[in-house]
Formats: sequence, C-alpha cells, structure tokens
Amino acid sequence: MSVFEKSVSCTDVAPLLVFYACDEVSDKERQQIDAHVANCAACAALLAEANGLQEVMAAASQSADELDSSGILLAQCRSELAESLDDLSAPPVQDHWRPFGWLRRWMALRPAWSGALLVFFGILVGIQVVPRLQNATSDNSQAMNVTAKPRLTDEQLARMVVGGINFPPSSDAGSPDVQVQLSAEQPLVLNGNVQDSDMRRVLTYVVQNGERFDAGVRLDCLEALKAASRDLQVRQALIAAARKDQNPAVRMKALESLRDAASDDAVRQVLLDALEHDANPGVRVEAVNVLVGSLKPGESEDMVPRAPKATPSVNPGGLGEEQSIERVVRVLEQLQRRDPSRYVRVRSAAALRQIGPREVE
Amino acid sequence: MPLPRWALADDNGRSGSTDAALASVISLSHLDERALVAEAQTGSRAAFEELVRRYDRDVLRLALNLMKRPEDARDVYQEAFLKVFRNLHRFRFECSFYTWLYRIVTNVCLDHLRRRQARPEDQAPELSAGLHEEGITDFFERQREQRPTLDPERTLIGKEIKARLASAMERLSPRERIVFEMKHYQGLKLRAIGDVLGTTEETVKNSLFRATRKLRHELGGLR
Repeated sequence: MSVFEKSVSCTDVAPLLVFYACDEVSDKERQQIDAHVANCAACAALLAEANGLQEVMAAASQSADELDSSGILLAQCRSELAESLDDLSAPPVQDHWRPFGWLRRWMALRPAWSGALLVFFGILVGIQVVPRLQNATSDNSQAMNVTAKPRLTDEQLARMVVGGINFPPSSDAGSPDVQVQLSAEQPLVLNGNVQDSDMRRVLTYVVQNGERFDAGVRLDCLEALKAASRDLQVRQALIAAARKDQNPAVRMKALESLRDAASDDAVRQVLLDALEHDANPGVRVEAVNVLVGSLKPGESEDMVPRAPKATPSVNPGGLGEEQSIERVVRVLEQLQRRDPSRYVRVRSAAALRQIGPREVE
Repeated sequence: MPLPRWALADDNGRSGSTDAALASVISLSHLDERALVAEAQTGSRAAFEELVRRYDRDVLRLALNLMKRPEDARDVYQEAFLKVFRNLHRFRFECSFYTWLYRIVTNVCLDHLRRRQARPEDQAPELSAGLHEEGITDFFERQREQRPTLDPERTLIGKEIKARLASAMERLSPRERIVFEMKHYQGLKLRAIGDVLGTTEETVKNSLFRATRKLRHELGGLR
C-alpha cells in the first residue's frame, strides 16, 4: 500500500518530483502527484524546477557528440581492438630454448667487458684447470717398468757371426761407443754404448762363448766391456773368460778388464786362481799386477757390487780383509819361490815388497 | 562505409577479403543476441566482432560522456571489450548481454574515474564542450559552427550550459556520474541501471536523487 493512498503531503511528494520529471514513477504515483501539485504551489514550483533541469540537460549537447562527431574515434577504437584481438588469437610464439641467453645479451651489449672476461677466463683455465687435468690423468696411471724388447733373441745370438767390432770416436771417455757388425739371419750393425742392453748382451755372449768367435773379436769385446766391469753380469762374463778362455791373451785381457773390480771377492779369487793355476806366465804376471793394484791404499773399490753368494769367495767362512791379504801374500810367496818363470818370480817379489808396508800397518 | 578490417577476419583471426568471410559476417548480422553470444562463446571471432559492432557505439558514447577525454574513452573501450572477449565463456545468460556488457564498461569507467580522483595531478584537463570548441582547428568543424541558420544567442546559451554542466558533473561521485549519465544520456531505466551496476533500484534512485540535487544547485541560476 503506497503512502499516497491515505494522505499525500509535500514531504512525500517533494522527493519524488525528480523521478516524476524523468518518468521513473508508477502510474498511480503519477496521478497522485498530479493531484497534489495542482493544489500545492510550492510543490508545483519544485516540479517546474525539475522539469527545467531536464530541459537544460536535453538542450546541452553531449560530450560524445562533441568529441567524436565524425566517428573517427570509433574507427580508431575498432582498429585497435582488432589488433589486440589478433594478438590474443595468435598462437603463442614458442621461443626455442637458448642456453645462456642472458649471458649472450649481456656480452652483446658490452663487447669490451666481454673480451676482457674471455681473456681472463682463458688464462684461468690455462693456469688452473689444465694442470689439474694433467695431474688427474697421471694419478690414474700406474707406474710401470717398461723394458724395450730386445732386438736380438737368444736364438739369433746363438747363430750370429761377428764380422767386426769398431770403436768410433766418442766424447764419453768412461764408456766408449761401439759398433758391432753382426751377421745373424741377416746382416746387422749395432751402434751404441756398452751401457745399451743389446750391445751388452752381444758382447757378453761373445766373451762367454769364446770358442765360437775369433780371438780378436773376443779381445775387442773385452776391451769394450772393461768400462762396465762393475756390472754384475759383465763381471761374471769377464770372470768366465779369465778362467776358461783358451787364448792367454784373452785371459790376460779379461784380468785387465777386471782391474776396476779387483776388490770383489770373486774377482780376487779369480786372480789367485790365475796365479796358482794359469799355465801362461803372462797371465800370472797380469794377475799379480791387478792384485797389487787392488791392495794399494786408496784403490780399494768399496763401491763395487758384490758377487752373489753362490760365487766362490776368498773367505767363504766370513774371513775379513786381512785374511784375504794374507792369502794373497802367501800365494805370492809361493810364486816367488816356485814359479818356473823367472819373470813371474821377480814380479812376485816386487809385489811382496809393495804389499809389505801394508802388513806392517 | 567500408567494413573494418576486423569485420572481414575469419575465425582464426586472419584478415582477408574472401567471399566466405563476407558471407559469414552477413549471416551473423541476422542472428539474435543470444545466438550470437552463443556462437561467440564457441570461439567464433566473427560472432564476437558482430557483437562488438552492435554495441560499441553506445559503449564509446558512454565512455566519452563519463571520461570527457578521447584518450581515456579509447582506453575504456579497449579494456572493456578485451575483458568481454576473455570472459565471454563465463557469461551464463542470467541477464541480457547488453546488461553484462554495460556492467563491465561501467566498472572500467569507475576504475578510471576513481584513479583520476585519487591522482588528479597525473590527469590531463578534461575537454569541456566550451573549451573544445574554442580549440577547434578542424576546418569542417569551424564551417559547421558558422552556418547562418544557427542562432547566435542560442549558441551562446548552449555553450554556457555545457560549461556549467561540465563543471557540475565534476562535483559528482563516480557512481552518481554514471547513474546520471546512464539515465539521462543512455535512456536506461533505473532497474536496468541497477542491474548494470549490480545493485538495487532503490540504491540507484538514491544516487540519482543526490546527483540531481547537486546539479540543480550548480545550475540554479541558469534558467
């Protein structure tokens, strides 16, 4: 039930006059307002004012009419909206993955800094990373003894024929260069030093198997091996030659080659055996010379490697240096008295004189 | 008037003046609003653009009347229709598409107006009718105003009314401004305005009453 059904006052009508002017009241309200305004001058004036405002509003042109009278703005809006819709409707561009894109953009914008950075990075890698990689590589490898495969087999050695041995000029006085001309399955020339394994094998083989080779070859081999007499294998070969070789000159040469190793028990035993048993006086004299030389003060070869225990020794029971010297003296005294060669006796007497002061000491 | 470029675009957004596209536009123009919206909801670009073409004049007009600046009105236009495009699938036909569209437009306008009120120093001055006319540089605009049939006295009064009205509108709150604009310039009923604004008719009535009282006070000596 509306308020107008009972009583219509100015208080009720006045607020509705605005809506009456813009046609926002019901028909019944309109009838009652009309009836009230017809009898109320104040409300009629208010209604006239409301209607006047409506007329003013209607008379005033709208902003839209002024701002877009030609429709250009609407066309612009449509065009822009179409472009925006195109962007929204377009499938998303999937930018393919680019690693370090930020770094490339940064470097592209700062070429000088990029160049300096690359140089610094290169130096850093060269100093820090490469040595570490090399160390890591070497740590992983195990130490191995690598021995070069001998060029000459034992079979070749057994069938070889030595054509000649030359001593080319060498700057190394201790171990001269040697050139060995061989003829095994095919002609072969060995050039090198006595320290070379192949060279040493050939030379010691010739010395140890003297019956197969010419005496001159054997002598040359002994001359070449003299520089390596401290080597155990070489020394054993020289000892064998001194004991067994048929040629006295070769035996003499073998003893001479053992001079640097004369303090060794095995060598000294060979020298004593030569004194007592060698049939050639020249060999015995050479043995006296080597023995006397080894007994001179300051000439003992403490650094000479000892022979294996299997090798016959002068003092097998553990005799000392004095006992060894006593035996040498005893053998020399015997030679001085009994040797059939006068020269040997004279040389032995001279040797005893040389050794004499040592006995006093 | 030639069809705009978007009117000839196919459903995939490609512009082209093919007969098929033209036929599509013509056939869509005969659809009623509900069918057109349903078609647009399926992803039809042409149907959506037909919807735009039906309502964008009113939308731009509302935006111009409220914002008073072409740049702001253009922003409102863009923002509002892009929102419609993105959210059209959520429209459930619980109201008319027109109401739903105007709700979006008025919300965008309210945001802009509130932003303008919060930071008035960042905004360019509004182009009131009087100022706009004084600044007319277009030759054809000047020629139209110089027609001999136009009454000079009436023109002068009209300028005065527009200037005073523009000044009075500035004193309204954004919501009052929208209600007044939609009532007097868009011709909407208060119930429809309530639907657009998402409020009751009584609330709209209160807003209109306050707006009218403010304007009457500002325009008191005009008659």
